[in-house]
Amino acid sequence: MEKETLIEELKALIIKSLKLEDVLPSDIDPAAPLFGSGLGLDSIDALELVVALEKTYGIRIPDEDVGKEAFASLSALAGYVIKNKK
Amino acid sequence: MPDRVALVTGGTKGIGKAIARSLVSKGIRVFMNYASDDKSAEEALNELNTGGNYARTIKADVSDQQQVNEMIDGIVRETGRIDILVNNAGIIKDGLLMLMPDSNWHRVIEVNLNGVYYTSRAVLRTMIGSRWGRIINIISPSALLGRAGQTNYSAAKGGVLSFTKSLARESARFGITVNAVSPGVIATGLTRYMDERVKTEFLSMIPAGRFGTPEEVAHAVLFLASDEAAYITGEYISVDGGLT
Repeated sequence: MEKETLIEELKALIIKSLKLEDVLPSDIDPAAPLFGSGLGLDSIDALELVVALEKTYGIRIPDEDVGKEAFASLSALAGYVIKNKK
Repeated sequence: MPDRVALVTGGTKGIGKAIARSLVSKGIRVFMNYASDDKSAEEALNELNTGGNYARTIKADVSDQQQVNEMIDGIVRETGRIDILVNNAGIIKDGLLMLMPDSNWHRVIEVNLNGVYYTSRAVLRTMIGSRWGRIINIISPSALLGRAGQTNYSAAKGGVLSFTKSLARESARFGITVNAVSPGVIATGLTRYMDERVKTEFLSMIPAGRFGTPEEVAHAVLFLASDEAAYITGEYISVDGGLT
C-alpha cells in the first residue's frame, strides 16, 4: 500500500477509534507527534489506538518502547504499519 | 450476564472453585486455571461442566509469563474474549522475616504479585477492544492489617491492592473496573487441618464468631463482576465477619 493512502486511512482510524468528533483528517499533521501535543491525546488514548491498530493491521505493539517509535508521528506510524503488517 | 467469559486463577479448589461455580450459575463461560493438581481439576470439571453449563480447566503456572500468555491466547482463540478475570491463585510460605529463606520471599512475590501483573496485562487488550471488563483481585486481611509470619504474603497482597487502585484509574475509561475482595478466615480444605489452638485464636478475633464460607466470598466477587457494579472501581470489599 502507498504510504500516502495509508496515512489517510490511519487518520480515519484515529478519528473513529478515539472518537475525535471535532477533528478533520486535514487537522492531523503527518509530521507532528501523535500524543502529548497537537491533537491533545493522552497516553491512555494510546491504549485504545494500540488495540485498534493491532486489530486492523495484525501488527503488534508490545510495549511503550516500540510505541514511542510508532507514535512519533503519523508518518512514522504509517512506516511502522507497512514494515510490520501481516 | 450471558455470553461472557471468565478466567478464575486457582479456580479448581476452595474459594476459587466457589467463585467459578457462582459465575457458571449465571450462564458465564468459565475457565478454571490451576497450576499442578490434576486430580482436583478433574473433580472441579466434573462438578461444574454439567447440563447447559460451560466450564473448562486450563493448566498454567501464573508466575510464568509465557504460560500465562499462552493460556490467555488459547482462551481468546476459543471464545474470542475474556470479560472477567478473577486473580485468586495464591500461595503462602509463612515464616518470620529474620529467618526466612530467600526462596520463600521470592516465590510468594512471584505467584501472588507477579502473577497478577502477568494475567492482568494479558487480558487488557481484549477488554479494551470490547470496552467492558472486570478484574477482581483476591487479597487478604494480611494486606490491610499485617500479620506476623507473613511479611512476604502481606507485601504481595498489599502490592496487589495498590496495583488494583492504579490499574482502576488506567482502565476506567474503557468500561473496565478493577477491584479487590479480601476474604477473612474462610473454611476450606486448609482450615480443616488447622489445629484447635490456632482455630480458637482466630475465632477470638472475628466479631462474627465463625469462619466464613467460600460461597460468601463468591457472592462479593459475583457482585463486582456484574453490570450493576459498573461504577465501583479501585475499591476493596472485606468478607471477613468484621475481622478488619
